[in-house]
Amino acid sequence: MRNSRLITGAGKAVAVAALLVWSLLPIAFIVMSSLKPGRDIFAVPTVYVFTPTFQHYASLWTRWGQFFDGLLNSTVITAGATALAVVASTCAGYVYSRNSGRFHDASVMFLIVVRLIPPIVVTLPLFPIVNAIGLNDTHVVLMVLYATFFVSLGTVLMRTFIDQIPRELDEAAEIDGAGRFTILRRVIVPLAAPGIIAVAVFVVVFAWNEFLFAFIFTATNAKTAPLVISEMLGSMDGVDWGILFAASTVQLAPVLLFVVLMNRYLVAGLTAGATKG
Amino acid sequence: MTDRITLDITRRGFLGTALGGAAALAAGPSWAAAKTLNILSHKVHETVLGTGDGDLMKEWKARNDTDLVFTTFDSNPLQDRLFREASLPSTDYGVGYIIDNRPTADIAKLFALLDDFLKSAPIENYDDIAPGLREAMTVGGKTIGIPVRHATGGLFYNEALLEEAGISAPPTTLEELIEQAKKLTFTAKDGTPVTGMIMASDLAVFPVSFARAFGGDYITKDFKLLPKPEAMEKALGVMANMFKDGALPRSYATTKNDDQVTWMQQGRAAFTMITFARYKQFNDPANSKFPGKIKAVQFPKSKSYDGEMSAVTESWGMSIPANFADKELAWSYIREVSSPRVTLGMAKNGNGPVRVSTYADAEFAAASPVAAAEAKALATARGAFPPFPEAARAQQLFLEDVQLAVLGRKTPAEAVENMVKRITPLLPA
Repeated sequence: MRNSRLITGAGKAVAVAALLVWSLLPIAFIVMSSLKPGRDIFAVPTVYVFTPTFQHYASLWTRWGQFFDGLLNSTVITAGATALAVVASTCAGYVYSRNSGRFHDASVMFLIVVRLIPPIVVTLPLFPIVNAIGLNDTHVVLMVLYATFFVSLGTVLMRTFIDQIPRELDEAAEIDGAGRFTILRRVIVPLAAPGIIAVAVFVVVFAWNEFLFAFIFTATNAKTAPLVISEMLGSMDGVDWGILFAASTVQLAPVLLFVVLMNRYLVAGLTAGATKG
Repeated sequence: MTDRITLDITRRGFLGTALGGAAALAAGPSWAAAKTLNILSHKVHETVLGTGDGDLMKEWKARNDTDLVFTTFDSNPLQDRLFREASLPSTDYGVGYIIDNRPTADIAKLFALLDDFLKSAPIENYDDIAPGLREAMTVGGKTIGIPVRHATGGLFYNEALLEEAGISAPPTTLEELIEQAKKLTFTAKDGTPVTGMIMASDLAVFPVSFARAFGGDYITKDFKLLPKPEAMEKALGVMANMFKDGALPRSYATTKNDDQVTWMQQGRAAFTMITFARYKQFNDPANSKFPGKIKAVQFPKSKSYDGEMSAVTESWGMSIPANFADKELAWSYIREVSSPRVTLGMAKNGNGPVRVSTYADAEFAAASPVAAAEAKALATARGAFPPFPEAARAQQLFLEDVQLAVLGRKTPAEAVENMVKRITPLLPA
């Protein structure tokens, strides 16, 4: 019995270790390569011990200044899209949680179906429309698109979360004279915070890394960091791997930090409703 | 002493400041030029024009009171974006950089025909631009682009490795290249396993060059597929033997363009075929273990072939979307960039010069040790294949058979037969 437990424990440890290596190795490779001298990045045999250099970061700053403009654009767009998606999902989730009927059920299904459509299907036909209304190459167009793509998933997530909040709290607030909006703001939102954070994490990760929409709908003013990184990869004079890895590290760091900080809420948000009923 | 910092601001004050700031931003700075010319290009096209004191377009900008705003993308996304912009009812982009193997007859309709501009406001010494490059920018005899950059392929070799293997000079025939590549498949003094030659398996350039070395080709300008099938068979046979002998990497099927660069820089391969423009990168002391030791010559032809061998080139041209309003301004930019002065300036900044005269410039020749070889190759160079709507699909099918032949899964004859069967229906009628 004890042996069996030991074997199971060891198996779990090996599985977790393998998973960690699988997930962390590419990140470690990127970060280490960004600190290696250029000629050691792809050296054979692999160079593991080296004197770190920040030369690639300095070159990134001097030669690819537009990358930092891109980071600023990514930040603005990610913040806007997240705010928009969270507000819309919370409002919609509340409505779906507290109301039911044939129309509501059908519209939930519609939300899910819309989410299943590949983005490219809607992207290209949208280009002339966005152009005609003068939104091309603006932050707003990406904020709206990213939020739109996540409102469906966010709504379903928020509905599950709000379902767990007893309706009696709504009724008590109603007796005290609160309207729907006040109930949402004063009662639901504070209690559904982990769900809101989970939705926010999803949108942040998606918006920060998204490429396709940004590629189609931006040019210079709203160009995001992933687009600049793709240009570094396609340089006709050859790829400068050190700079590319430095840019990837800079691009990776904020979102990684954000996800790690929000990890606790993310797990709570995603498991909401798992034990319901 | 207080531990709080306070800022007294009224609502009216805040509103006024915000509106004033917004108005100032909206009005723009007073030193901005009256006009803006938006350009869709690769970043390298912008970079080679220089900045600050070295800005090659400084005088033109002042003369035309115009700012240049570049929107840059990687090559394929750039072409997609350019064609999409040119398909709209109107566009803000006045100049778009186009690759020579893209303009099919339908694509050409999206761009202004430049022959009238060439007559009314000619480009200085236009005939000095390499004829092959000018021709590549015409569709149905009409000019839709003015050549601005070329990337012509040459054979790079690592002189240090050649010396180590007791080889005193680079190959002058294809047979010598194969022999040397086999000899250079060895373990170097420092323990690095060296492969004779490295080439990407996902680009038509390599099999096309080998076929041309035997007097053959892939698709000619007049859309003849494999004009000399036996030359392609020989080419595939040679490549398959190199693979069998270990003179091509075991990872040939997954080798990409960037692997060629890193393998050469690390001394893991002795030969590669790539554009002359990579010379600087190969010999960059910060990234290469062999700075100054990686040199280039023209790709050699077989001693069994007496004719002229065309190197493979890819060129870029500047075009004007037909839906752009101020075509005169766009043409003025193109004229300036195409001038001998700017062409030379861009060449010094690393651009493949499209003018023959640029190679004669002593300063440029001194700064670029591969200039002479590149000039020779450029004189007769042409694209790997002409543009046609199904070109990408045809290239994919072509490369599938090339790879199967090189890996030994098909005989060269079977591969060539299959190419003819599958690619013929894709060619223009």
